Amino acid sequence: MTAVQPPHPGEPPPPERGLSREERGRDVSEAQAEAEAETSKFKQFLHAMSPRLVWSQAEGYPVVVKQFLQFCLILIYPAWVFAVLVGGLLTLLFYVTVYPLLWVLFWPVRAYQKKNHPEEYAATREKFAKNQTT
Amino acid sequence: MGLFNRSGGAKVVVSPTNVTPRQTVTANVTTDKAIDKVRSARLEWGYTNFYQYHWAGRADSVAAAGNDTIWTMDQVGTNYGGDRDTDDWVSVDGEDVPIATGEFTGASSTFRIPSWAPPSSPLIARWECRLTVDRGGRDVDARGEFAVVIGTADVEAYVDPIEVVAGAAETVIDITLGSPVYRAGDVITGQATLTPTIDLPDGDLAVSWQRDRESHPLTRTPGPGNQWDGRIVTLGKRIPLRAGVPVVLPFEIPLPADAPPTATAVHSSLSWFVQARLMYAGFTGHMLERVRSPIVVVNAP
Repeated sequence: MTAVQPPHPGEPPPPERGLSREERGRDVSEAQAEAEAETSKFKQFLHAMSPRLVWSQAEGYPVVVKQFLQFCLILIYPAWVFAVLVGGLLTLLFYVTVYPLLWVLFWPVRAYQKKNHPEEYAATREKFAKNQTT
Repeated sequence: MGLFNRSGGAKVVVSPTNVTPRQTVTANVTTDKAIDKVRSARLEWGYTNFYQYHWAGRADSVAAAGNDTIWTMDQVGTNYGGDRDTDDWVSVDGEDVPIATGEFTGASSTFRIPSWAPPSSPLIARWECRLTVDRGGRDVDARGEFAVVIGTADVEAYVDPIEVVAGAAETVIDITLGSPVYRAGDVITGQATLTPTIDLPDGDLAVSWQRDRESHPLTRTPGPGNQWDGRIVTLGKRIPLRAGVPVVLPFEIPLPADAPPTATAVHSSLSWFVQARLMYAGFTGHMLERVRSPIVVVNAP
Protein backbone atom coordinates (compact mmCIF):
# COMPACT_ATOMS: atom_id res chain seq x y z
CA MET A 1 0.00 0.00 0.00
CA THR A 2 1.87 2.99 1.27
CA ALA A 3 5.32 3.03 2.67
CA VAL A 4 6.11 5.67 5.19
CA GLN A 5 9.59 7.02 4.60
CA PRO A 6 12.40 4.91 6.08
CA PRO A 7 13.16 5.65 9.74
CA HIS A 8 15.71 8.35 10.30
CA PRO A 9 18.93 7.56 12.12
CA GLY A 10 18.58 8.50 15.75
CA GLU A 11 14.85 7.98 16.02
CA PRO A 12 13.26 5.00 17.76
CA PRO A 13 12.30 2.13 15.42
CA PRO A 14 8.58 1.74 14.72
CA PRO A 15 6.97 -0.59 17.25
CA GLU A 16 5.79 -3.94 15.99
CA ARG A 17 2.10 -4.19 15.12
CA GLY A 18 -0.24 -7.03 15.97
CA LEU A 19 -2.26 -9.30 13.71
CA SER A 20 -5.78 -8.60 12.50
CA ARG A 21 -8.58 -11.15 12.56
CA GLU A 22 -8.02 -12.16 8.92
CA GLU A 23 -4.29 -12.57 9.49
CA ARG A 24 -4.85 -14.76 12.54
CA GLY A 25 -7.13 -17.12 10.69
CA ARG A 26 -10.27 -18.77 12.00
CA ASP A 27 -10.62 -18.51 15.76
CA VAL A 28 -12.14 -21.88 16.74
CA SER A 29 -11.35 -24.55 19.28
CA GLU A 30 -9.39 -27.66 18.35
CA ALA A 31 -12.46 -29.91 18.53
CA GLN A 32 -14.43 -27.62 16.26
CA ALA A 33 -11.58 -27.37 13.75
CA GLU A 34 -11.55 -31.18 13.58
CA ALA A 35 -15.29 -31.25 12.94
CA GLU A 36 -15.00 -28.61 10.23
CA ALA A 37 -12.17 -30.50 8.52
CA GLU A 38 -14.45 -33.55 8.14
CA THR A 39 -15.61 -33.92 4.53
CA SER A 40 -18.51 -36.29 5.05
CA LYS A 41 -21.75 -34.66 6.18
CA PHE A 42 -22.60 -37.64 8.36
CA LYS A 43 -19.29 -37.49 10.22
CA GLN A 44 -19.71 -33.75 10.64
CA PHE A 45 -22.98 -34.29 12.44
CA LEU A 46 -21.35 -36.98 14.58
CA HIS A 47 -18.56 -34.58 15.50
CA ALA A 48 -21.05 -31.83 16.32
CA MET A 49 -22.55 -34.13 18.95
CA SER A 50 -19.25 -34.92 20.66
CA PRO A 51 -19.10 -33.70 24.26
CA ARG A 52 -15.58 -32.42 23.62
CA LEU A 53 -16.87 -29.93 21.04
CA VAL A 54 -19.69 -28.75 23.28
CA TRP A 55 -17.30 -28.42 26.24
CA SER A 56 -14.84 -26.43 24.11
CA GLN A 57 -17.41 -23.72 23.46
CA ALA A 58 -16.45 -22.22 26.81
CA GLU A 59 -12.85 -21.71 25.70
CA GLY A 60 -11.41 -18.24 25.79
CA TYR A 61 -13.59 -16.89 28.60
CA PRO A 62 -12.15 -15.54 31.82
CA VAL A 63 -11.91 -17.81 34.83
CA VAL A 64 -15.21 -18.28 36.75
CA VAL A 65 -17.20 -17.28 33.65
CA LYS A 66 -15.60 -20.20 31.85
CA GLN A 67 -16.43 -22.69 34.59
CA PHE A 68 -19.97 -21.37 34.78
CA LEU A 69 -20.35 -21.75 31.02
CA GLN A 70 -18.99 -25.30 31.18
CA PHE A 71 -21.52 -26.08 33.89
CA CYS A 72 -24.31 -24.69 31.71
CA LEU A 73 -23.01 -26.62 28.69
CA ILE A 74 -23.20 -29.86 30.67
CA LEU A 75 -26.78 -29.02 31.62
CA ILE A 76 -27.84 -28.35 28.06
CA TYR A 77 -25.87 -31.23 26.55
CA PRO A 78 -28.95 -33.48 26.02
CA ALA A 79 -30.75 -30.58 24.35
CA TRP A 80 -27.67 -29.95 22.17
CA VAL A 81 -27.63 -33.58 21.02
CA PHE A 82 -31.36 -33.41 20.36
CA ALA A 83 -30.95 -30.21 18.33
CA VAL A 84 -28.14 -31.72 16.23
CA LEU A 85 -30.21 -34.87 15.65
CA VAL A 86 -33.20 -32.80 14.59
CA GLY A 87 -30.94 -30.76 12.32
CA GLY A 88 -29.56 -33.93 10.79
CA LEU A 89 -33.02 -35.35 10.31
CA LEU A 90 -34.26 -32.17 8.65
CA THR A 91 -31.26 -32.18 6.31
CA LEU A 92 -31.98 -35.80 5.44
CA LEU A 93 -35.66 -35.01 4.97
CA PHE A 94 -34.79 -32.13 2.65
CA TYR A 95 -32.62 -34.35 0.46
CA VAL A 96 -35.30 -37.04 0.36
CA THR A 97 -38.35 -34.88 -0.31
CA VAL A 98 -37.72 -31.30 -1.44
CA TYR A 99 -34.45 -31.79 -3.29
CA PRO A 100 -35.76 -34.38 -5.81
CA LEU A 101 -38.80 -32.18 -6.36
CA LEU A 102 -36.63 -29.17 -7.20
CA TRP A 103 -34.40 -31.39 -9.29
CA VAL A 104 -37.37 -32.47 -11.43
CA LEU A 105 -38.84 -28.97 -11.46
CA PHE A 106 -35.65 -27.37 -12.78
CA TRP A 107 -34.93 -30.15 -15.30
CA PRO A 108 -36.05 -28.01 -18.28
CA VAL A 109 -33.83 -25.10 -17.14
CA ARG A 110 -30.81 -27.38 -16.87
CA ALA A 111 -31.56 -29.00 -20.21
CA TYR A 112 -31.87 -25.57 -21.82
CA GLN A 113 -28.55 -24.44 -20.32
CA LYS A 114 -26.83 -27.66 -21.33
CA LYS A 115 -28.01 -27.25 -24.91
CA ASN A 116 -27.52 -23.51 -25.39
CA HIS A 117 -24.65 -22.66 -23.01
CA PRO A 118 -22.63 -25.88 -22.70
CA GLU A 119 -19.42 -24.24 -21.44
CA GLU A 120 -21.30 -22.25 -18.79
CA TYR A 121 -23.13 -25.41 -17.72
CA ALA A 122 -19.87 -27.32 -17.40
CA ALA A 123 -18.32 -24.46 -15.41
CA THR A 124 -21.22 -24.43 -12.96
CA ARG A 125 -21.09 -28.19 -12.51
CA GLU A 126 -17.37 -28.03 -11.89
CA LYS A 127 -17.84 -25.22 -9.37
CA PHE A 128 -20.30 -27.20 -7.29
CA ALA A 129 -18.28 -30.39 -7.57
CA LYS A 130 -15.31 -28.46 -6.15
CA ASN A 131 -17.40 -27.04 -3.33
CA GLN A 132 -18.35 -30.50 -2.22
CA THR A 133 -14.80 -31.73 -1.83
CA THR A 134 -13.49 -28.70 0.06
CA MET B 1 2.34 17.13 59.61
CA GLY B 2 1.82 15.74 56.22
CA LEU B 3 -1.23 13.54 56.75
CA PHE B 4 -3.63 16.25 55.69
CA ASN B 5 -1.07 18.08 53.67
CA ARG B 6 -2.28 17.81 50.15
CA SER B 7 0.20 17.71 47.40
CA GLY B 8 -0.36 20.00 44.46
CA GLY B 9 -1.12 18.71 41.00
CA ALA B 10 1.09 18.94 37.97
CA LYS B 11 0.33 20.36 34.56
CA VAL B 12 1.93 19.32 31.29
CA VAL B 13 1.90 21.86 28.47
CA VAL B 14 3.14 20.77 25.08
CA SER B 15 4.09 23.30 22.45
CA PRO B 16 3.53 23.52 19.57
CA THR B 17 0.23 21.65 19.65
CA ASN B 18 0.08 20.92 15.93
CA VAL B 19 3.14 19.21 14.54
CA THR B 20 4.19 17.15 11.55
CA PRO B 21 6.58 14.17 11.65
CA ARG B 22 10.28 15.04 12.10
CA GLN B 23 9.43 18.22 13.98
CA THR B 24 10.37 18.73 17.60
CA VAL B 25 7.94 19.38 20.44
CA THR B 26 8.66 20.55 23.94
CA ALA B 27 6.76 19.67 27.07
CA ASN B 28 6.91 21.89 30.13
CA VAL B 29 5.76 20.45 33.42
CA THR B 30 4.74 22.94 36.08
CA THR B 31 3.40 22.36 39.56
CA ASP B 32 1.23 24.59 41.76
CA LYS B 33 3.59 23.82 44.59
CA ALA B 34 6.39 21.34 45.02
CA ILE B 35 5.32 17.67 45.12
CA ASP B 36 6.99 15.98 48.09
CA LYS B 37 7.85 12.41 49.10
CA VAL B 38 8.68 11.61 45.49
CA ARG B 39 10.41 8.31 44.76
CA SER B 40 10.65 8.65 40.99
CA ALA B 41 9.18 10.63 38.17
CA ARG B 42 8.96 9.72 34.52
CA LEU B 43 8.01 11.60 31.38
CA GLU B 44 6.77 9.48 28.48
CA TRP B 45 6.02 10.38 24.89
CA GLY B 46 3.64 8.28 22.90
CA TYR B 47 0.08 7.86 21.82
CA THR B 48 -3.18 6.42 23.05
CA ASN B 49 -4.17 3.91 20.42
CA PHE B 50 -7.89 3.32 19.81
CA TYR B 51 -9.01 -0.08 18.58
CA GLN B 52 -11.68 -2.73 18.88
CA TYR B 53 -11.29 -6.13 20.50
CA HIS B 54 -13.38 -9.20 21.11
CA TRP B 55 -13.77 -9.39 24.88
CA ALA B 56 -13.76 -13.15 25.39
CA GLY B 57 -14.50 -16.48 23.82
CA ARG B 58 -13.60 -17.86 20.43
CA ALA B 59 -14.83 -15.44 17.77
CA ASP B 60 -15.80 -18.13 15.24
CA SER B 61 -17.14 -20.84 17.54
CA VAL B 62 -20.42 -22.61 16.76
CA ALA B 63 -21.98 -21.16 19.88
CA ALA B 64 -21.05 -17.63 18.79
CA ALA B 65 -22.67 -17.98 15.39
CA GLY B 66 -26.00 -16.63 16.57
CA ASN B 67 -24.57 -13.79 18.61
CA ASP B 68 -24.65 -10.97 16.16
CA THR B 69 -28.04 -11.60 14.67
CA ILE B 70 -30.71 -9.02 15.29
CA TRP B 71 -33.15 -11.50 16.86
CA THR B 72 -30.78 -12.55 19.60
CA MET B 73 -29.53 -9.10 20.51
CA ASP B 74 -31.51 -8.74 23.72
CA GLN B 75 -31.21 -12.37 24.80
CA VAL B 76 -29.41 -13.40 27.93
CA GLY B 77 -26.41 -15.63 27.31
CA THR B 78 -25.37 -14.34 23.93
CA ASN B 79 -22.20 -12.46 23.28
CA TYR B 80 -23.96 -9.59 21.53
CA GLY B 81 -21.83 -6.49 21.77
CA GLY B 82 -18.80 -8.64 22.53
CA ASP B 83 -16.68 -6.48 20.27
CA ARG B 84 -15.72 -3.48 22.32
CA ASP B 85 -13.93 -0.20 21.75
CA THR B 86 -10.89 0.35 23.87
CA ASP B 87 -7.54 2.11 23.90
CA ASP B 88 -4.00 1.29 24.96
CA TRP B 89 -0.99 3.44 25.64
CA VAL B 90 1.90 3.01 23.21
CA SER B 91 5.08 4.45 24.59
CA VAL B 92 7.51 5.70 21.98
CA ASP B 93 10.13 7.41 24.09
CA GLY B 94 10.58 8.21 27.76
CA GLU B 95 12.99 9.59 30.29
CA ASP B 96 13.30 9.55 34.06
CA VAL B 97 13.27 12.97 35.69
CA PRO B 98 16.14 13.27 38.18
CA ILE B 99 14.81 13.73 41.72
CA ALA B 100 17.23 15.35 44.14
CA THR B 101 15.64 15.74 47.57
CA GLY B 102 12.41 13.85 47.17
CA GLU B 103 10.74 16.91 45.72
CA PHE B 104 9.40 17.45 42.23
CA THR B 105 8.99 21.02 41.10
CA GLY B 106 8.87 20.73 37.35
CA ALA B 107 10.62 19.38 34.31
CA SER B 108 10.85 19.79 30.60
CA SER B 109 11.50 17.43 27.76
CA THR B 110 11.83 17.60 24.00
CA PHE B 111 10.78 14.95 21.53
CA ARG B 112 11.29 14.59 17.83
CA ILE B 113 8.19 13.14 16.19
CA PRO B 114 9.31 9.97 14.37
CA SER B 115 8.79 9.82 10.63
CA TRP B 116 6.55 6.75 11.03
CA ALA B 117 4.28 8.46 13.59
CA PRO B 118 0.59 7.65 13.06
CA PRO B 119 -1.27 10.96 12.66
CA SER B 120 -3.76 11.95 15.35
CA SER B 121 -7.40 11.11 14.74
CA PRO B 122 -10.27 10.00 16.96
CA LEU B 123 -10.19 6.62 15.22
CA ILE B 124 -6.52 5.76 15.66
CA ALA B 125 -4.31 7.79 17.95
CA ARG B 126 -4.11 10.67 20.41
CA TRP B 127 -0.55 11.86 20.97
CA GLU B 128 0.38 12.77 24.52
CA CYS B 129 3.21 13.53 26.86
CA ARG B 130 2.56 11.77 30.15
CA LEU B 131 4.01 12.51 33.53
CA THR B 132 3.93 9.78 36.19
CA VAL B 133 5.14 10.65 39.66
CA ASP B 134 5.57 7.72 42.04
CA ARG B 135 5.51 9.01 45.58
CA GLY B 136 4.81 8.06 49.17
CA GLY B 137 1.20 9.11 48.92
CA ARG B 138 -1.20 9.51 46.09
CA ASP B 139 0.64 9.29 42.77
CA VAL B 140 0.44 12.22 40.44
CA ASP B 141 -0.46 11.66 36.80
CA ALA B 142 -0.74 14.40 34.26
CA ARG B 143 -0.76 14.53 30.53
CA GLY B 144 -0.45 17.10 27.81
CA GLU B 145 -1.98 16.47 24.44
CA PHE B 146 -0.79 17.48 21.03
CA ALA B 147 -1.80 16.61 17.50
CA VAL B 148 0.32 15.08 14.78
CA VAL B 149 -0.77 15.94 11.28
CA ILE B 150 0.74 14.49 8.13
CA GLY B 151 1.26 16.21 4.82
CA THR B 152 1.97 15.02 1.32
CA ALA B 153 5.72 15.14 1.98
CA ASP B 154 5.44 12.75 4.94
CA VAL B 155 4.08 9.81 3.02
CA GLU B 156 5.50 7.86 0.17
CA ALA B 157 2.72 6.56 -2.00
CA TYR B 158 2.90 4.60 -5.16
CA VAL B 159 0.21 3.39 -7.50
CA ASP B 160 -1.12 0.05 -6.29
CA PRO B 161 -2.87 -2.66 -8.26
CA ILE B 162 -6.63 -2.62 -8.11
CA GLU B 163 -8.24 -5.09 -5.76
CA VAL B 164 -11.24 -7.05 -7.03
CA VAL B 165 -13.60 -7.27 -4.06
CA ALA B 166 -16.58 -9.02 -5.64
CA GLY B 167 -17.87 -10.17 -8.97
CA ALA B 168 -16.83 -12.44 -11.80
CA ALA B 169 -14.63 -9.80 -13.52
CA GLU B 170 -16.69 -10.06 -16.70
CA THR B 171 -15.89 -6.38 -17.11
CA VAL B 172 -12.37 -5.32 -16.28
CA ILE B 173 -12.72 -2.13 -14.22
CA ASP B 174 -9.66 0.05 -14.08
CA ILE B 175 -9.48 3.13 -11.86
CA THR B 176 -6.93 5.77 -12.78
CA LEU B 177 -6.48 8.49 -10.19
CA GLY B 178 -5.12 11.98 -10.65
CA SER B 179 -2.84 11.48 -7.66
CA PRO B 180 -2.24 8.71 -5.11
CA VAL B 181 -2.38 11.21 -2.21
CA TYR B 182 -5.29 13.48 -1.31
CA ARG B 183 -5.81 15.99 1.44
CA ALA B 184 -8.94 15.93 3.60
CA GLY B 185 -11.54 18.17 1.96
CA ASP B 186 -10.02 17.70 -1.50
CA VAL B 187 -11.90 16.34 -4.47
CA ILE B 188 -10.65 12.98 -5.72
CA THR B 189 -10.41 13.13 -9.48
CA GLY B 190 -9.87 10.21 -11.76
CA GLN B 191 -11.43 8.05 -14.38
CA ALA B 192 -12.93 4.61 -14.53
CA THR B 193 -12.30 2.49 -17.60
CA LEU B 194 -14.68 -0.38 -18.27
CA THR B 195 -13.48 -3.07 -20.63
CA PRO B 196 -16.11 -5.80 -21.09
CA THR B 197 -14.68 -9.21 -21.91
CA ILE B 198 -17.96 -10.39 -23.44
CA ASP B 199 -21.14 -8.72 -24.67
CA LEU B 200 -23.04 -7.72 -21.54
CA PRO B 201 -26.29 -5.99 -20.65
CA ASP B 202 -26.16 -2.25 -19.95
CA GLY B 203 -24.21 -1.30 -16.87
CA ASP B 204 -24.86 1.00 -13.92
CA LEU B 205 -21.60 2.36 -12.51
CA ALA B 206 -21.11 4.27 -9.27
CA VAL B 207 -17.99 5.25 -7.31
CA SER B 208 -17.39 6.37 -3.73
CA TRP B 209 -14.66 6.64 -1.17
CA GLN B 210 -14.27 3.93 1.43
CA ARG B 211 -12.33 3.92 4.65
CA ASP B 212 -11.39 0.79 6.46
CA ARG B 213 -10.26 0.57 10.08
CA GLU B 214 -8.57 -2.65 11.02
CA SER B 215 -7.87 -3.63 14.61
CA HIS B 216 -4.79 -5.74 15.20
CA PRO B 217 -4.02 -5.67 18.92
CA LEU B 218 -0.81 -7.26 20.12
CA THR B 219 -2.35 -9.54 22.76
CA ARG B 220 -6.14 -9.30 22.74
CA THR B 221 -8.43 -10.99 20.23
CA PRO B 222 -8.99 -8.45 17.46
CA GLY B 223 -12.40 -7.05 16.59
CA PRO B 224 -13.78 -7.53 13.10
CA GLY B 225 -12.82 -4.07 11.78
CA ASN B 226 -15.14 -1.43 10.41
CA GLN B 227 -15.75 -0.04 6.96
CA TRP B 228 -17.41 3.22 6.06
CA ASP B 229 -18.56 4.10 2.57
CA GLY B 230 -18.93 7.64 1.33
CA ARG B 231 -21.91 8.87 -0.62
CA ILE B 232 -21.98 7.18 -4.00
CA VAL B 233 -21.41 9.21 -7.14
CA THR B 234 -23.39 7.74 -10.02
CA LEU B 235 -21.47 7.80 -13.29
CA GLY B 236 -24.07 6.28 -15.56
CA LYS B 237 -27.26 4.27 -15.40
CA ARG B 238 -27.25 2.76 -18.89
CA ILE B 239 -23.71 2.28 -20.07
CA PRO B 240 -23.57 0.06 -23.16
CA LEU B 241 -21.06 -2.77 -22.64
CA ARG B 242 -19.84 -4.46 -25.82
CA ALA B 243 -17.03 -6.99 -25.86
CA GLY B 244 -13.64 -5.31 -26.09
CA VAL B 245 -15.00 -1.75 -26.41
CA PRO B 246 -13.61 0.30 -23.52
CA VAL B 247 -15.78 2.97 -21.92
CA VAL B 248 -14.02 5.81 -20.09
CA LEU B 249 -15.91 7.76 -17.43
CA PRO B 250 -14.25 10.59 -15.49
CA PHE B 251 -15.37 11.12 -11.89
CA GLU B 252 -15.01 13.51 -8.97
CA ILE B 253 -15.51 12.38 -5.36
CA PRO B 254 -15.43 14.98 -2.59
CA LEU B 255 -13.57 13.92 0.55
CA PRO B 256 -14.97 15.13 3.88
CA ALA B 257 -13.07 18.07 5.36
CA ASP B 258 -12.59 16.23 8.66
CA ALA B 259 -11.44 12.96 7.08
CA PRO B 260 -9.08 11.11 9.44
CA PRO B 261 -5.76 10.53 7.69
CA THR B 262 -4.30 7.18 6.64
CA ALA B 263 -2.48 5.72 9.63
CA THR B 264 -0.71 2.60 10.79
CA ALA B 265 -0.37 2.20 14.54
CA VAL B 266 0.45 -0.75 16.79
CA HIS B 267 -3.10 -1.85 17.56
CA SER B 268 -5.09 -0.45 14.65
CA SER B 269 -4.71 1.08 11.22
CA LEU B 270 -6.82 3.12 8.86
CA SER B 271 -6.73 2.84 5.09
CA TRP B 272 -8.60 4.68 2.36
CA PHE B 273 -9.88 3.46 -0.98
CA VAL B 274 -11.77 4.61 -4.03
CA GLN B 275 -14.29 1.94 -4.83
CA ALA B 276 -16.36 1.34 -7.93
CA ARG B 277 -19.35 -0.92 -8.31
CA LEU B 278 -20.93 -2.03 -11.54
CA MET B 279 -24.39 -3.56 -11.80
CA TYR B 280 -25.83 -5.12 -14.93
CA ALA B 281 -29.36 -4.50 -16.14
CA GLY B 282 -31.86 -7.32 -15.79
CA PHE B 283 -31.86 -10.53 -13.83
CA THR B 284 -29.77 -12.66 -16.14
CA GLY B 285 -27.32 -13.86 -13.55
CA HIS B 286 -24.48 -11.40 -14.07
CA MET B 287 -22.95 -10.72 -10.70
CA LEU B 288 -22.35 -7.28 -9.28
CA GLU B 289 -18.73 -6.20 -9.79
CA ARG B 290 -16.88 -4.35 -7.08
CA VAL B 291 -13.28 -3.15 -7.18
CA ARG B 292 -11.27 -0.77 -5.05
CA SER B 293 -8.07 1.15 -5.42
CA PRO B 294 -6.08 2.32 -2.40
CA ILE B 295 -5.39 6.00 -1.84
CA VAL B 296 -3.60 7.91 0.90
CA VAL B 297 -5.39 10.66 2.79
CA VAL B 298 -3.38 13.35 4.58
CA ASN B 299 -4.58 16.34 6.58
CA ALA B 300 -1.84 18.93 6.16
CA PRO B 301 -0.43 20.69 3.10
